[in-house]
Amino acid sequence: MIYALAVHGAPYSSNAAEHAIGFAEALLACGHQIERVFFFHEGVYHSLNSHVPPQTRYNVNLARRWQSLHNGGIELAVCIASGIKRGVVNETEQERYDLPSDTLSKTFELVGLGQLIGAIATADRYVEFPA
Amino acid sequence: MKRYLFIVSRSPYGSSVVLEQLETAMVAAAFDGDVAILLRDDGVWNLQQHQSGDALERQTLAKVLSGLPSYEIDRLYVCASSLQMRNVTIDQHLGFEAVDYPAQQALIRNSDVVIGGQP
Repeated sequence: MIYALAVHGAPYSSNAAEHAIGFAEALLACGHQIERVFFFHEGVYHSLNSHVPPQTRYNVNLARRWQSLHNGGIELAVCIASGIKRGVVNETEQERYDLPSDTLSKTFELVGLGQLIGAIATADRYVEFPA
Repeated sequence: MKRYLFIVSRSPYGSSVVLEQLETAMVAAAFDGDVAILLRDDGVWNLQQHQSGDALERQTLAKVLSGLPSYEIDRLYVCASSLQMRNVTIDQHLGFEAVDYPAQQALIRNSDVVIGGQP
């Protein structure tokens, strides 16, 4: 089956990502496909390029786990409207808004909401991981 | 064409979630989706009469809701029980139909995708 996933919770404050990553890994292990993972609301914070995993959460490095999914060919798409208002900008947006640096990790890309609907329209199942 | 049901269960001004959900619904409709909206739990406060986001320098959610039909979103429902529990006086002009639990179950059953049911 083809799945579309959405992550709404911020890193290390919500468990949305742990659940989403575990689910995504299980899907791939079972031979399913993932059309896209979409980061919405506070989920966009996962795409910052400046995370330092907290020492109290040993063994949990979310950025590395997302990177690993990305390396496996999974598209990690960040809602641009949710992202830029929270400080997530790529080089294009950095220049547009005259900001000191870009903040988007290379693992992720900024996209419009249409990419969420496009993924849902293509997928057999849509699963949302709330905050 | 997929049938979408957006369940809005948050109050209007406590977060940006409702506005972002409605924007998603509009995009789904723009992509030829058949979209329905169900307001329930604290989501029913979005229908409160005489609300204004001006004091918070925010968009007035009732106005956003009133614009849904222009996006061809006209299947608009509200949970009768949630309304009754909160004694919300709804703005009738917004065109939301109060529905009971069996009707909500049918809505969910008849949708291909249900989005944003978190309380």
